[in-house]
Amino acid sequence: MAAGVEMRETHKVARLHAVLWGIFSLGGMIAAFLLPVMIYLTGIAYPLGLWPFNGSRDPSFLVTGTLLGMLFVFVTIAGSLFHGIFRFQSALTEVGLLRFKKGLEAVGYFLIFAGIIVLAYYLLVLNPSLPTL
Amino acid sequence: MVVLDALNYIKANLDGSLTYRWSCRMGVCGSCGANVDGTPKLTCASFLHEFKGRTINVEPLPNFPVIKDLVVNMEDFMEKLVKIKPWIIREKETPPEQGEYKQSAEELERYQQFSSCINCMLCYSACPIYGLNEKFLGPAATALAYRYIEDSRDQGKNVRFPIVHEMEGVWECTLVGECSVVCPKGVDPMLAIQKTKILGATNAIRSILMPRGGR
Amino acid sequence: MAENKSFPELRRKLTPGWWTANRHYVQYMFREWTSLFVALFSLVYIYGLSLWATGSRNAFLNLLKNPATIAFSFIALIFTLYHAATWFYLLGQVVPMKIGKTTSKPWQALAVNLVLMLIVSYLVIWLLVLR
Repeated sequence: MAAGVEMRETHKVARLHAVLWGIFSLGGMIAAFLLPVMIYLTGIAYPLGLWPFNGSRDPSFLVTGTLLGMLFVFVTIAGSLFHGIFRFQSALTEVGLLRFKKGLEAVGYFLIFAGIIVLAYYLLVLNPSLPTL
Repeated sequence: MVVLDALNYIKANLDGSLTYRWSCRMGVCGSCGANVDGTPKLTCASFLHEFKGRTINVEPLPNFPVIKDLVVNMEDFMEKLVKIKPWIIREKETPPEQGEYKQSAEELERYQQFSSCINCMLCYSACPIYGLNEKFLGPAATALAYRYIEDSRDQGKNVRFPIVHEMEGVWECTLVGECSVVCPKGVDPMLAIQKTKILGATNAIRSILMPRGGR
Repeated sequence: MAENKSFPELRRKLTPGWWTANRHYVQYMFREWTSLFVALFSLVYIYGLSLWATGSRNAFLNLLKNPATIAFSFIALIFTLYHAATWFYLLGQVVPMKIGKTTSKPWQALAVNLVLMLIVSYLVIWLLVLR
């Protein structure tokens, strides 16, 4: 104990929230570096036949073609989902919904964890045998 | 001429009851904060020529209860400054005969910026998170805590970390950044809060992965 | 807060529209709301996978080819790029790099990381699509 300091007051370190914030920050990196190309490939390049999907392939192989593709989809979508919902729920409390903070957090974390579990489940269902790297 | 001069003129010639705080009139005491034309500023540092040709509003600092005219209740702010224990905490004080605690220029640079705070409260007025939640520790208090955390002479991390890492400590901050924009002394509270968050996250992960401590 | 006050204090509350007061606040709100599109795209993608997992791959591909999804993807991409740009700028502000005596500026972090992001994007396309 530090000299001359009495610990009369108690402070509850928000350890869980600190970890969640760390994951949120990692999700922000993922959303910044990996999500743009994901959206481009899946939402724009494929349906409009732009490079690199010049007519022949479609992005479903990202999910079943290679282990690397599966990992890319999982990391990108799970990370972006966590980051997006965490931040949006916080943004909602800043525009007048502060009194619903607990409710928003409950809904938010439910969506995050349900979404990540469902995503992992589908990736495994669609890949009964693990594809090559 | 500055807004403070205008306030003094009004008090001397137009309305003697006008009540406001001021002291040094040169931007070092932190007394004269007010909302000048919508922005938290020191009235002694707001030059009238910036507002030439316009009528502006001078209002009491936002996010604080108003006592009278431009005077706001500072008690919450003062409590927070004291709460983070703004003094060097040593595990063991060395006697004066052993000389002063030495510090290199590099060690000084790590916290020097954050020691420039003049407690003017402009950052709390600029912070919407504090405006929405009075329990939030806030920019100046966290920057001051960080100033001591980063001071090589201080050994009080175990005392200060629980204070800044509780829920209403740094975690409420969402990096609006306006605190650093309005600071008249170039302190960057947003940076201090962010660095403290990183310390909190690494601490938490470390305490989970190595529960019996490890350094 | 002091007890035993003999005078009333004026307490002013922040209204939900507080962020319209100032250009910086508007930019901040805009930046935070990019998270909505980041989250929504992820949810839409997971929904698409659910169509495939419970039906056929074509159900997933038809969702992607739907003009509404394409329009949404364009908007989501723009907002995601804005998220990336503001995220890199923030990185520059909170983790300045020291090289010798000089410290990096936020716009430098923005530029370097944007280039890095483009390189990573090309690497993803090369590794996963072109190979």
